[in-house]
Amino acid sequence: MIRKIQVVILATLIVLPVLSFAMDKISGLQIIENVYNRQTGNDQQADLTMSLINSRGDERVRTIRQFTKDFGAMEKKIMFFKTPADVRNTSFMNWSYDDENKDDDQWIYLPALKKIKRISSDSKSDYFMGSDFTYDDLGDRHPSQDTHKLIGEEMINGENCYVVESISKDEDYMYSKTVIWIIKDKWIGLKKDFYDEDEDLLKTLTVKKFEQISGYWTILSTEMHNVQKNHTTRMQLENVKIDTGIADNQFTERMMRRGL
Amino acid sequence: MQNILNRHFKFPLLNLILILVVTFIFMKVMKSNTRMETDLDKYMPQNHPAFIFSDKAEKMFNIKDGIIIAIENSDGIYNHGTLSKIKEITRKLEKMPEIEKNDITSLYTADNIIGTEDGMDVKAFYKKTPTSAEELSILQQNVHNNDMVFGRIVSEDETVSVIVANIEDDVFSQQFYQNILKMAKSYEGPEKLYVAGTPIVEGTMAYLGPRDMKKMVPIVILVITVILLFVLRSLKNTFFTLQVVLFSVIWAFGLMATLGIPIYAVSTMIPVMLIAIGVADGVHLYSHLDLYLLENPGASKREAVADMLKGMWKPVMMTSVTTAVGFISLLTSEVYPIKYFGLFTAFGVMAAMFFSLFLIPSGILAFGLPKRKASIQMKRSNEDQLSHRFAGTIVKYKYLTPIMTAVIIVVSLWGMNKVWINSSFLEKFEKDSDIVLTDKFINEHFGGTSMLNVIFEAAEPDKFKQPEILKAVSRLQNDVENLPLVGNSFSLTDYLKRMNMVMHANDEAYDIIPDSKELVAQYLLLYEMSGDPENLWKVVDYNYTNANLTFQIKSDNSKVIKDVIARIESHRPELEALNVKINFAGSGYKALVFTDLILEGQIKSLLMSLGIIIVLLSLMFKKMSVGLIGSVPIILTTLISFGIMGLLNIPLSTTTALLSSIAVGIGIDYAIHFIERYRIYALETGDKQATIRQTMHHTGRAIVFNASVVIAGFLVLLFSVFPPNRTLGALVSLNMFTSLVGTVTIMFLLLYKTNIYFRNKKGL
Repeated sequence: MIRKIQVVILATLIVLPVLSFAMDKISGLQIIENVYNRQTGNDQQADLTMSLINSRGDERVRTIRQFTKDFGAMEKKIMFFKTPADVRNTSFMNWSYDDENKDDDQWIYLPALKKIKRISSDSKSDYFMGSDFTYDDLGDRHPSQDTHKLIGEEMINGENCYVVESISKDEDYMYSKTVIWIIKDKWIGLKKDFYDEDEDLLKTLTVKKFEQISGYWTILSTEMHNVQKNHTTRMQLENVKIDTGIADNQFTERMMRRGL
Repeated sequence: MQNILNRHFKFPLLNLILILVVTFIFMKVMKSNTRMETDLDKYMPQNHPAFIFSDKAEKMFNIKDGIIIAIENSDGIYNHGTLSKIKEITRKLEKMPEIEKNDITSLYTADNIIGTEDGMDVKAFYKKTPTSAEELSILQQNVHNNDMVFGRIVSEDETVSVIVANIEDDVFSQQFYQNILKMAKSYEGPEKLYVAGTPIVEGTMAYLGPRDMKKMVPIVILVITVILLFVLRSLKNTFFTLQVVLFSVIWAFGLMATLGIPIYAVSTMIPVMLIAIGVADGVHLYSHLDLYLLENPGASKREAVADMLKGMWKPVMMTSVTTAVGFISLLTSEVYPIKYFGLFTAFGVMAAMFFSLFLIPSGILAFGLPKRKASIQMKRSNEDQLSHRFAGTIVKYKYLTPIMTAVIIVVSLWGMNKVWINSSFLEKFEKDSDIVLTDKFINEHFGGTSMLNVIFEAAEPDKFKQPEILKAVSRLQNDVENLPLVGNSFSLTDYLKRMNMVMHANDEAYDIIPDSKELVAQYLLLYEMSGDPENLWKVVDYNYTNANLTFQIKSDNSKVIKDVIARIESHRPELEALNVKINFAGSGYKALVFTDLILEGQIKSLLMSLGIIIVLLSLMFKKMSVGLIGSVPIILTTLISFGIMGLLNIPLSTTTALLSSIAVGIGIDYAIHFIERYRIYALETGDKQATIRQTMHHTGRAIVFNASVVIAGFLVLLFSVFPPNRTLGALVSLNMFTSLVGTVTIMFLLLYKTNIYFRNKKGL
């Protein structure tokens, strides 16, 4: 009799999680799509403080004023350096395209040279301004580029999270896999682990602060820690304004030259 | 004396067994506890300011020594096959656990900063290996136009390209080297592959030297055995003389193992020293015994041993103590392996003394006196004649010896002037060895396989964005690059000049440091945005307070490196006026400082031991003049040793410098034996002619035996495959020879002429 009960309990334990997933009917892909499709507003302006900390604890801080606007098939972004003083008014403009085959267009204006130069970066695997973020980490990666698998659920910082493992369909991708913790009801990634080509943990991204601004869940503070190099990048947004209706002509070479 | 003999030699077999047991225990400990130290950094004095600084700088700028794999294709490297191989080798190195991914530089990993019509690109030279003629020619053009790569990663004749993997100091092992060699070889055809670099040179040397020594020492011992047999004319005597040497080596290394002290490369010299020194006691003891038996044919073994100990315990003890003092003086060295070398060799010398005074007598008592053939009688008188005639000649032509000595001193002093120090590792290998040839090949095609790092320190952040400082660094680079053996230099200025030119549409007029600090800062920001900033942290630190300039030099010869340093130093005032300090770093520089330290310590300890020995001799013989006369052979030996090195262009290195210790250790032994005998006979006979005749016959003979045994043994090292060991063999033999000659000629003459031990009698 006791044996029978044991068998039933055991069977239930095995079947139940499977059933519950089946009942939820949410797949890894759906979760990632929900995150991808989360509304973030049409435009945004903010003051960005970027702190780079190397393994010896040396810290460099840059402050930047940035504007972003969604133009449908492309997203435009313009950044102006405020500090350090010797790079003040250096500006950087980036147009990224939904079309995966199209590389980003990038310009830089060096006030000391009084010239705008186009720069092109080889690939999305390049690090952004010496930080621990690659261009790819900063952009929105389309869900169809990876195979997603829900591998569990976990509580982090009091938030119920899905844990999804994503493996790129492109074999040459810089990460062998990523694992992301996504808050169930908000569709915000709270933490993300990046694994290198040898499947060793390379970086961990932690979201430190997020708020609802103008009705949109907005990430305000993140920290990327490269565990292999022991290098850390902190990005903090302040004075965030969303949907203020930034003019289209804010994203031009003329504006780059004008500075702040 | 008779008391001691009775007390300690009542059960001679027990003595032998006790010594055997202790030796056996030491051997056991050695087996389980001996450890070889191969990390060269462990040899350096960790608290010396130059090393502290270099270590700090190495961490700050990720300065590591590189293993260089060169791939040569005589038809040029710009074809699909060769480029694929470069890519594959790079990828394979990246996957090796010993190597960090970011520490590999090749055409595949290099950044190409290029100017485009409307801007700047930082790109890889290739990701997918190009196939079409057009792609290949674009790549060729890109490399050709980039100073940061052309001549550095790809040779100027475009037939060779290098892949450099920087590794930590403690990573290198023979296994690792073999793996890399095997991997490189697997890519041969039509390309040729070469593997070189400082870690390989250092690692192979640290491995080859002791390995060769291990092979050669048994042969040395074998030859010494044969000569001993010939000289002592007795199997038993030879056996016990060898036991003294071997046991003292085992005790020295056994104690080292017991105390948990690892074997350093210099420690491999300990057996060499102990063999050269330890044989002496046995030869002198048995020689004395022989002569006694000759004069007293009917003596019992107990009587013979008693006489031997009575006559010899004092000189054996004196020679051992003075020799040990010579080695103990090495404790003043700042370098721990040298301290240990001195300490344990001294211990070995004292152990050899103990064995000579216990093992040899016990051996005779336990196994009987050596058997003699009748014919010896005849030979003896011949020897007597010979030594007598020799002494007579020296005395007769009394000006010859001093004049010859004076000439030798002058020539030696002149030669010593030419002695130079060399910390080169490469020059320790055969000229036609693979390592040297590969190094030469790479040096012919590229900037150089040896690195010297110049570290600039400014007190405040952002200093290395200031054009005037950057321009001063650039001037220094240009000036030093004019030296013939300096290939390339690389620093922050190279990035800035390249970017300035590229941002001005590749106009060569802009291949200079820009004039505005803001522009420098903005270029650097631009580089960070588009390139791989990791590369930047190898030339400047995070806050632009410190910078690292690397010179590639085509030789690791100390003279060459010192010339480069002198040229850099000439720019010091200019940079100091800008509040920038200059320092040096890197393994080559550390080796240079290290060698200087060893030599400085060696010279200090040599002078100190000389002083102590003169005092000891004076005390032992209760005469200051004897102390001074006794030190003459040592001083001569040392002078000649250094003089010959200067004349034959043999540089001072860690090995050759230590040899001066052996000159002292051995030279003094001969002198003591000689003076002691001279004193005894002088007091016994009171006749000067009889004294010199008997001393020459007794001690002169023993010294000649001793010297021939060791010289023959060490000449064997001339057949070593490792050049430093050959030099060692030649110099030990030379030192033995000059000590011998110095003792029986000039020192003998000085004793004779000063009338020591006869003056009092005359006064009476």
